[in-house]
Amino acid sequence: MSEIYEILEICLQDIEKGASLDSVLLRYPEQSAELRPVLETAMKAIRVHVPDPSSEVIHRNRARVLQHAAELREAKVQSVPARRLWSVPLRRALVTLVVIVALLMSSTSLVRAASTTLPGDQLYPVKRTWEDVLVTITFNMQSRNALEVEHENERLNELNELFVKGRSAQVDFSGVVTRQNGELWLIAGIPVAVSAQTDLSNQTIAIGNAVHVIGTTQKDGAVQAEKIELLSSGVPLPQVSDDDSSGIEHENSAPSNQSGEDTSNGESPNVNMTQAPESESRSPSTSERTIQSVSGVVQSINGNIVVVNGQIMNVSTAEEIKGTPKVGAAVKVEGYYDANGLFIVTKIDFSSGDSGGESTSGSNNHNNDSGSNDSGSNSSGGDTHGDDGGGSGGDDSGSSAGGD
Amino acid sequence: MNELGLFRFSPGWLVQQFLAIDSWNDILNVNSREIITTPTPGGAILMTDFNEQRALDGLQKFDYQSIGAIYDRYFPELYRYVRYRISDETIAEDIASDVFVRLMEASQKKKGPQTNLRGWLFATASNAVNDYHRRHYRRPVESLSEAMSDGSASVHSEVDIREQNRAIQMALAQLTAEQQHVLALRFGDGYSLEETAVILNKNANAVKALQFRALASLQRFIGEVIYE
Repeated sequence: MSEIYEILEICLQDIEKGASLDSVLLRYPEQSAELRPVLETAMKAIRVHVPDPSSEVIHRNRARVLQHAAELREAKVQSVPARRLWSVPLRRALVTLVVIVALLMSSTSLVRAASTTLPGDQLYPVKRTWEDVLVTITFNMQSRNALEVEHENERLNELNELFVKGRSAQVDFSGVVTRQNGELWLIAGIPVAVSAQTDLSNQTIAIGNAVHVIGTTQKDGAVQAEKIELLSSGVPLPQVSDDDSSGIEHENSAPSNQSGEDTSNGESPNVNMTQAPESESRSPSTSERTIQSVSGVVQSINGNIVVVNGQIMNVSTAEEIKGTPKVGAAVKVEGYYDANGLFIVTKIDFSSGDSGGESTSGSNNHNNDSGSNDSGSNSSGGDTHGDDGGGSGGDDSGSSAGGD
Repeated sequence: MNELGLFRFSPGWLVQQFLAIDSWNDILNVNSREIITTPTPGGAILMTDFNEQRALDGLQKFDYQSIGAIYDRYFPELYRYVRYRISDETIAEDIASDVFVRLMEASQKKKGPQTNLRGWLFATASNAVNDYHRRHYRRPVESLSEAMSDGSASVHSEVDIREQNRAIQMALAQLTAEQQHVLALRFGDGYSLEETAVILNKNANAVKALQFRALASLQRFIGEVIYE
C-alpha cells in the first residue's frame, strides 16, 4: 500500500513540473485505475488557487498586530514596577535576613576557629576582638566582671601553651606582682624578666601591685617585659591559684625592700624557701655555680618553669629528671641561680619520698664548686617563714632552703 | 496607519524604541539564513534577513521589530493557507492576523514556540480554521469567488471557477482537520512534501499516506457535493 503513496507523490511532482495526467499514468499502468481519480482530485485541489494578500491587507493587519504588541509591551512595562513595588520590602527583608544569617554563620565559624589560637597566630586578633565585643555587649556588671576575669585567665592559659610549645610571641596579660627577684619577677604566676629596656612608666612597682604586662615569651619559660604598667584598683585580674599567690605573697616579706608591708600573715603555709634573694642571685655571677638543694612541693608547672614553694625554677637544662612532673608532688631539686636570679635546675626528683609536701626536706646546700664561700650565708636569712604565725595549719608549710 | 502613531511619546516609549533598535540589529545579523521580501507602503520591496531564533528571542520582549519581521515573513503564507480553507476574504484576513496575536499572547504566558515557529503558526491557523468551521456548521461561504477572480477572466470561466472552488471547498470542509491541513499546505501554499513534513512534525512517508487518504476522501466528497 505504501507503494501507491509513493507513486502518487511522484505523479504529483511530475504534474507540478507540467506533465499531463495521462502521460503520468502511462508509467504506472497497474495503478492507473486507482490513481486516476485521486490525481484528478489533486489537480482540482491544485487549481483552487488563492491570491496573495494585497499590500493593503498586509499593512492593515501589520498595524493591527503591532498595535497589539505595543499594548502587551506597555502592560508588561507597567506590571513590572507594580510587582517591584509589592516585593521591595519583602525582597529587602529577605536580603537582610540572608546577609545576617551569612554573617552569623561566617562570624561564628570564624570565632570558633579563632578560639583556640595563641598570640602570634593569624586569627588571634579575631579572638581578642570577639572577647571585646562580648564584654561590650554584656551589660550586667557582675557578668561583665566574670567575663573579664575569664579573659584574663585565658591570657595566662595562652602563655602556658606558648611556653609548652616553646614559641616566642608578643603577649600581654595582667596580674599581681608576687615576687621580685631582681630582674626576674613573678606576675600572676608567670616569670617576667625585667630589663633596663623595660618601660615602667616611671612608676614604682612593688609586690602586691596589680600590673599589666606587655612583652614577649622566651623559650626559657619567661616573658621578657617590654612594658609594665600599674593597673588601677578594681580592674579584673586573673584568678591565680592560692598556692602561688600565698606563697609568693609571703615572700615579699623577705627580700623585698620596698613593700614588705603586709606579709599576709596567717595563712601561709608554704612560706618556704626564700633562699634566693637578689643578693644571692647576683653573687654567683662569676663563673662559679653554687649548687643548692631544695625540697618542697610543686605549685605549678609552666612548660620548663616549675614553681616549688614559690621558687621559680627553670628545668630546661636539667640533667636529670626523675619521676613524673605533677603539681602537688613533693620534689627534691638541685640547681643554681643564674645571673638573672633564675633558679636553674640541674637535677629534679618528682618521686621523692614524702609526698604531700608536708615538710620540706631541709635544705642543704652543696657547694660543689670551688669558691662557694658566700652564697649560703646570704640565703640564710631566708627562713623568714618563722614569723608567720599560724602557719602550722598549712600543708606546705615549712620548707626552707637554707643556706648554712 | 502610521505604526509610530500607535505609541505614546513617553520615556517608556523611547526605551522601547531603543530596545527595538537593538534587537533589530540582532535580526540583521550576517548569519541569518533567510531573506524575505516585503512590500513597503510605497510599493518597493524590502529585503530583510530573517533569523528565526533571533526573532523568537525578540518576541519574548515584544520587540517591535522582531514581531514585525515575523509578521512580514509569515503573514502571506498564513493568509493563503486560510484562504484555501475558508473562502471569505475578510474572515481569512482576520484569522491570519489573529494567529500573530495568539503568538504574542502565548509568548506572554511563556507558552510560545521555542523552535519551529512556522509549524506553530500553521498549527494555530489550522485550529482557528477548525474553530471557525465548527461555529458555522461547516457551511462554506458562498461569495468566495469575488476576491479570487481576476479582471481578465470571462464571465463563464469566472462562474466555472467559482462553482468549482465552491464545490472543492465544501468537500474540503468535510475532511478531517489533519487532512484539510495537509492539503492546504501542499496545494494552497505549495509546500513540498519535505516542507510539509517539517510543519506537521511528521516523517515524509506519513505525509504521503496522509495526503493520499486526504485526496481519496476529497474525491468522494466532491462527488457528493456535485450530486447534492
